[in-house]
Amino acid sequence: MTDTGDQVKKPLHPAAASSQAFQVADIRPTERLFDDPEGRDRLEKVLSRYPEKRAALLPMLGYAQERNGWVSDESMAEIAGALDLTPAYVRSVTTFYTMYNRHPVGRHLIQVCTCISCHLDEADEVFERFLSETGTRAGEISEDGRYTVIEAECLGACGFATAVQVNDRYFENVTPEKVPAILDELD
Amino acid sequence: MSDAANHITLTIDGVEVSVEAGTTLLQAAEHAGVVVPHYCYHPGIPSRPAQCRMCLVEIEGQPKLQPSCVFPAGDGMVVHTTSETAETARKSVIEFLLLNHPLDCPICDAAGQCMLQDYAFETGQLRSRYAEAKLVLGRDRVADDILYFGDRCIVCTRCVRFMEDLAGDNALVVAQRGHKAYIDTFPGKDLDHAFRGNIVDVCPVGALVHEDFVFKARAWDMDSSPGICPGCSTGCNVEINVKENQIVRTKPRLNPDVNSYWMCDHGRRILVMANRGVRAEAPMIRQGGELEPASWNEALSWVAEKLSDSSGVAVVSAGASNEALFYTRALLDRLGIQGGTFQVEQGEEVTLTGFPRLKLRADRAPNVRGAELHDFRLSEELPEVSDGATLVVLGDALSGAAADYGANAGFFLYIGSHLVPAARNATAILPAATVPETEGTFVNYEGRVQRFHRALRSPGVARPSWMFLSRLLEHLGGPSGVREIGDAFAVMATDTAGMHGLTWSGLGLRGELLSEAGQPAVAAE
Repeated sequence: MTDTGDQVKKPLHPAAASSQAFQVADIRPTERLFDDPEGRDRLEKVLSRYPEKRAALLPMLGYAQERNGWVSDESMAEIAGALDLTPAYVRSVTTFYTMYNRHPVGRHLIQVCTCISCHLDEADEVFERFLSETGTRAGEISEDGRYTVIEAECLGACGFATAVQVNDRYFENVTPEKVPAILDELD
Repeated sequence: MSDAANHITLTIDGVEVSVEAGTTLLQAAEHAGVVVPHYCYHPGIPSRPAQCRMCLVEIEGQPKLQPSCVFPAGDGMVVHTTSETAETARKSVIEFLLLNHPLDCPICDAAGQCMLQDYAFETGQLRSRYAEAKLVLGRDRVADDILYFGDRCIVCTRCVRFMEDLAGDNALVVAQRGHKAYIDTFPGKDLDHAFRGNIVDVCPVGALVHEDFVFKARAWDMDSSPGICPGCSTGCNVEINVKENQIVRTKPRLNPDVNSYWMCDHGRRILVMANRGVRAEAPMIRQGGELEPASWNEALSWVAEKLSDSSGVAVVSAGASNEALFYTRALLDRLGIQGGTFQVEQGEEVTLTGFPRLKLRADRAPNVRGAELHDFRLSEELPEVSDGATLVVLGDALSGAAADYGANAGFFLYIGSHLVPAARNATAILPAATVPETEGTFVNYEGRVQRFHRALRSPGVARPSWMFLSRLLEHLGGPSGVREIGDAFAVMATDTAGMHGLTWSGLGLRGELLSEAGQPAVAAE
């Protein structure tokens, strides 16, 4: 079992970092998606993988979230335009999946698992500690724009309760005492 | 014969039925006289998600219940729609649907015409076992004239699939999921499709309502008459809902040859708007320079006496019934007036993509073909009236006319229902019942002769124009007048090319096509 402190310090393997762009905690909440080459390249790359445009919807919503930290109505309309769908349809898909954020979030989205295994451990206490340390209420962005803390349904790490996901990184065996150290390690 | 091969026989609730292969169990059950309760299935909407689980039936030999709306009937199948297992399943579905459903039937527009109310009543669960607080979603707007009551919605997605499958505009969707799911549009992009009103008709509960109808009338307070929409030359079959002699709502009536289950919003509005306007309520004759009211007998004999054979012009409305047009033509023939014109308002054509036969057609009048059939010609302008000439006007043909139109006529006979400014120049006004106030027929764009029925009482002593025109002809020495629409139609059918062989009762509620001979030279489309 890796110690939480080590996990934070250990640099990501380059292969993992390049495949998981979410780990770049650099979000620009209001930027348009396809106004620059970055967005257009991503669209082209994703489209090339599928036989029809509609199939690119989930990856492109993922891209919107990666770039903005959330999926705004404007992003939905942009994606709809790019994929020949109606904005309403894009909205339907976006709201169906709970992991697309429908509101802006802090640079670090801290998701504390409160499902049964973590709940039996110390999830509630960990969650409360995150809230008090960041000075926010659930779902809010902290004043410095760094954190948003929310509860998450099962993160699939029941063997390592309590599990916490910060952006795309997992922290396992989290206890309330470890919370300040985790926050310190985040930029 | 391959007929037998294509047919399969099965037993539904003890009734043996023979249906075509490929028929679903739900449709087969209809043949057996069994209605399987359902919400998401609608016969006019092609997609069948089988998601409401109301139509589950038990099939002998199948381990699980099957949704009858999609399950194909099989030869020798034994189906039970009311077995204990099926009933229990249905009861559970209803219980789930009612968990968050408000008890607002007393103020709900759908009450009395609600499938949820009906089936909940039928299954008879008196009390909810649900102890939690109900989810409250509130009210939203999905179009400028359609409201969405989220709490009442059972998310059957009929409206979503109407917009997708038939209107071809995926602008209405299910947002969220599970118990939080509701119907919504994209913010700032409300429905603006010309056929959007149908989502209200397909809604099995009271979740979608027209804003101009909401809280206006209860289902049991309204009378309903079969009519034909006067909005364009398609001639959609409609049901006219009337409360206290006012049209409160128009709904489409099934006619697979014309409009299927649908109609456009232009048509929905037009009949409701027909309640308005200043009506001609009594015959008026010009005596001593002033229009004075008169009795029908007085007015008809006065007109018969004063109307003389002379040159003149005639203007009719393409919204008048064939019978009115026929008797107007007979009157013009007797007076020696040739020709006659009508105007037709033009509008944008909109097709219902999923049922392309149905269009809101450019000709915004119901009886263009009928007017042509009676030798009236389309004209963009009202005819010039030369000084002292006779002018005969039928129907609301002068609504756009200048206020002094016809003032120079020698005799101006106005046969119409509304007192538009130009009508006040008339020498005599014969007050006509409007289309919803009378019976008659229209010929639609493809030559289909369709009957409409009476929905309203006329104001004052206004009468159907065919009725008093036939009596006017009697005063002028013609055959005795007709009093029944069937007789008027029979006289017309005998004298009109293309209508030979058609009878009033034979037209029924679906209409009949004109015979080849009656196809006017100007083909519709």
